[in-house]
Amino acid sequence: MIAAKMAYGNLFLHKAKSLLLGTIMCLGIAVLFVGNSLIDTAIGGLRKMFVEGFTGDLMVTGPTAFPTTIFGETAGGEQVIPHIAKFPDYEKFLASEKGVAATLPLLGGQVEMGLGEQVIGRGSAFGVDVERYKNFFSGNVTIVDGSWPNKGDLSWIVISETSAAMLSRAAGKKIGPGEKIILSALGDTAGIVIREVKVAGIVRFNQSNQQLARISLVDADTMRDLLGFASLRDTAVKLTPDQQQFVTAFDPSSLFDNPTPAVDSTAQSAPAANAGAVASQEPASTAVAPVPAWQYLLVKLAPGASSSKVLADLTKYSAGIDEGDHVQDWIAGAGTVARTAVTIRLIFDLMIFIVAVIVIMITMNVLVVSISERVPEIGTLRALGAKKQFIRRMILLETTFLAVIAGAFGLLLGYAILLLMKKSGIAAPNLFFEAIFAGKNLVPVISLSGAIKAFLWIFGMSILSSLYPIALALRIKPVVAMQGE
Amino acid sequence: MDTQNQYVVRLEDVHKNYALGKTEVQALQGVSFDILRGDFISIAGPSGSGKTTVLNLIGCVDTASSGTVSVLGQRTDTLNDEKLTALRHKGVGFIFQTFNLIPVLNIRENIELPAMLDSTDVGMSKAEREEWVAHLIESVGLEDRMNHKPAELSGGQRQRVAIARALVMRPPLVLADEPTANLDSATGESILELMKRMNREFGTTFIFSTHDAGIVAIADHVIRLKDGKVIENRRVDEKAAV
Repeated sequence: MIAAKMAYGNLFLHKAKSLLLGTIMCLGIAVLFVGNSLIDTAIGGLRKMFVEGFTGDLMVTGPTAFPTTIFGETAGGEQVIPHIAKFPDYEKFLASEKGVAATLPLLGGQVEMGLGEQVIGRGSAFGVDVERYKNFFSGNVTIVDGSWPNKGDLSWIVISETSAAMLSRAAGKKIGPGEKIILSALGDTAGIVIREVKVAGIVRFNQSNQQLARISLVDADTMRDLLGFASLRDTAVKLTPDQQQFVTAFDPSSLFDNPTPAVDSTAQSAPAANAGAVASQEPASTAVAPVPAWQYLLVKLAPGASSSKVLADLTKYSAGIDEGDHVQDWIAGAGTVARTAVTIRLIFDLMIFIVAVIVIMITMNVLVVSISERVPEIGTLRALGAKKQFIRRMILLETTFLAVIAGAFGLLLGYAILLLMKKSGIAAPNLFFEAIFAGKNLVPVISLSGAIKAFLWIFGMSILSSLYPIALALRIKPVVAMQGE
Repeated sequence: MDTQNQYVVRLEDVHKNYALGKTEVQALQGVSFDILRGDFISIAGPSGSGKTTVLNLIGCVDTASSGTVSVLGQRTDTLNDEKLTALRHKGVGFIFQTFNLIPVLNIRENIELPAMLDSTDVGMSKAEREEWVAHLIESVGLEDRMNHKPAELSGGQRQRVAIARALVMRPPLVLADEPTANLDSATGESILELMKRMNREFGTTFIFSTHDAGIVAIADHVIRLKDGKVIENRRVDEKAAV
């Protein structure tokens, strides 16, 4: 109690120093509060947009050399993202994983859209099971024209409002439900594949950006055709023993140095590895059930579930499967935009760290000066019987009071700045910032957790900067009390 | 008389050396004396004679280079920092030349401060403590100033506060380092009279240092130092012991 009283009194006794330190802390807290709120708002917006509309919380992708995004962008430059070989195993595992609310298989690729001979646009297309897609992203998609295709419908496309407008402009006529358009794959592993699809509906992505607003949804089998995977509409593949041997145990090198390739009779057919399906009607053939090819498996977490835990579990499971698949979070899945936002956060954190070091040095120096001016007082306390703990507590309390008072002012200042920003919003100056802001305007979210984080950060710095001055104070011997004030 | 139990302080062949740059200063050179419980002792001598060094050693705020210092029956060279702090807290009151009051605390809080430094080590309840503090404030005549800050008091009043503070833990021993040095002669005299009254009232041993030969006469026991050596050690009713 007396230590607290002395600590509080000392703040006002040494006004100049308290004011200097208090101002530094106040501004530090305000900058942290505002900066973190802006970045949290941007990342939160991006997260909501991607997680609820495009990527889910987590994602499994096929075995590319480098991790890939939902748009198929990889550092390795693969034309078509390979399918997930053990897809059913993942679904089975995730069904039993606590914290997983739903999964969604997906195919993705770049397509060119045409009307007869005329190319009218290009963009990303997702091959989906329409019912599962609608359930998974129920909050992000609204049909604005036409209707969703029915379960089992083939050769359909659902285009976005943005795409519809763009295609209509290029075609010189309205492209809407019922229109048949030609899709050509832009990937080259399947050779030239062209499919005709009918526009079933026009959809609005409730949250999107320039890139995401142009995504089209296509029935999974058409997408498989375009990407070069076998489609599910093909009936069960029947292979003769020779054919089965060819697709399961064939070793290309045997063509040159081993005329009799070994046959593994237990081997299963690889799913949909080649373009087009084989449909043999040999009487002695073996039926092989086709396994649907999916390139992505999106995972939606249950509310409150730990993303990092499910990610760790899934990563471990994937490593056990050993197919080279990638397991990643929504940030990796979202690609450049989310990574840029996260990078901005890292840069901001780095800047804060550098500023923190400087602030700690300044604060520490001011406290050292303060301690050196109070040597007789501390010596007197020690002479009167104050233990070292008492001196330590008194200085820590001084720092704490200063941090609390400065923190309150800093939070008020930050709150006022954020309120002003919230009122007017921060307009995105260009498309880049529009993507980062997840919209044309960034309206900061003022969160209690942001305020607490900012305060704790400054409080931690204050405590850290008082450690050396405390060590100096504890070295003061009681004999100095006898040397006068 | 069992004089062994009557001693509150005993110094035996105490030396204290200080390094002053590259030279070594011998502040005390074989100082020995005993102090009896309840005495009012003056350690006298000119500046640089070693008075403050002797008080530092008795007050357990410094250690001897050689020889032994026993305070309240404990050899100080055998105690660690924690035990020395506890001995100071419970056993020794300090009155400093420059008062050394805590500027942010009012008079009452300054007086009560030693008792609040470690409430587990006080030996009295809160009510007893408050009553005792009130009594001390009354004894030093500062009832009407107890809510004032030290900066609002005169030098004499501040030293009265320091005397009350030194007594708050009811220590057997109070050390006063030139308590009148920063006061005018009339105030200094009143302070010494107050200390003497406290000595009689509470039975507390007071040891005060002074270079003023005029105020030595008030003491029961005078120890005179010169160049770090005891040149006179006598009780007022005795002949010089040295």
